Amino acid sequence: MNAIARFVALTLGIPLVAATAARAQDPRLERLPAEARASVSPVIDSARAIGLPTEPLVDRALEGASKNAPAPLIVQAVRRLAADMGRARDVLGRAAGQAELEAAVDALRAGAPPDVLVRLRDALGLRQLAVPLGVTADLTLLGVPADSAASLVIALARSVADSDLLALQRDVERSVALGAAPLAAASQLLGDAAPTGLEAGTARTPATPTTRRKP
Amino acid sequence: MPEMEDELIGRVAAELRRPVRLDPAFDDRVMAAVRAHPLALRPWLFRRRTFSVTPLGALAVAAGFAGLIVATTLQLARRSEEPGTVTAASVVPFVLHAPDARSVTLVGDFNDWDAAATPLRATGASGSWVVTVPLPPGRYRYAFVVDGTRWIPDPAAPRAPDDDFGTPNSVLTVGT
Repeated sequence: MNAIARFVALTLGIPLVAATAARAQDPRLERLPAEARASVSPVIDSARAIGLPTEPLVDRALEGASKNAPAPLIVQAVRRLAADMGRARDVLGRAAGQAELEAAVDALRAGAPPDVLVRLRDALGLRQLAVPLGVTADLTLLGVPADSAASLVIALARSVADSDLLALQRDVERSVALGAAPLAAASQLLGDAAPTGLEAGTARTPATPTTRRKP
Repeated sequence: MPEMEDELIGRVAAELRRPVRLDPAFDDRVMAAVRAHPLALRPWLFRRRTFSVTPLGALAVAAGFAGLIVATTLQLARRSEEPGTVTAASVVPFVLHAPDARSVTLVGDFNDWDAAATPLRATGASGSWVVTVPLPPGRYRYAFVVDGTRWIPDPAAPRAPDDDFGTPNSVLTVGT
């Protein structure tokens, strides 16, 4: 091996070894039953290898461990989530971040077809999609048809900030809890957003930090 | 007495100033010994190297470094905008009305699902249990554990769409 080759190997090899060591098995997985840990770790490694976020997978495994779920159930849940995140990334593109993928998975699991997510992504351009996707997922879970939920979110997200979008979602939840039909309550979102007097594309500055309402 | 000491010092100094005459073969013997020393004992890392790089090669390396820096910067910028990785946290109140409970804890993605990590405190005689948690923007699944055994979702929040382990969770989105 000549000097240059050794220099390059050293320069690249040391960070690679350090990175590999840093990515060694997450110590939190020690909480899993041994047979679950043996199966979950490769799933997490595979997800990491293809660039998927691994934290949601660790969280799902820890949830199973905390709930004393049997090992096969934990492994199945983690595998299913990894597959769904891969599906979500296929829809949103490789640039999608962890929160966006998690929200997209929820939307898909809530019944939103992939083309609804594509429409939302295309309509909102470079905007971070985590909150719009999350609101779409939550409205769909609430009973609003996915296509209508996405249309409402697209219309609103062009003119309001994320915190306002979340506040409006809570209004829909409250209305549904009081007996309103989900679609009618969601459609009210547009009416609630209109009086802001802002032109499309102008975000409102949130007046307060985002907090969840008390029951 | 001081004069004797000065004389002694003077003689010692004179002796030290005399030029040392070395054996003419001394240098050759030293160099022969150095050459005979095993090469393996001289660590490769400490030997001086001379690299020759063509201008095109240097440009390629420079472009590679520049690309790495740009990619890293863009990635960091994107992460700083991405909910879930922004450091600024919102203080989120979690409330459960459970008048008969002896203890209530909060478990979720934000505390590694550790049932001992985030206990709620009872608020007087109202039967409500409360805790506030600073959360960076992101999407979180969570549940309450009542009396250490009963897992229940938050009645005031959307239900998570999946129920992998037989007990439902709630889901919370924290915005920027």
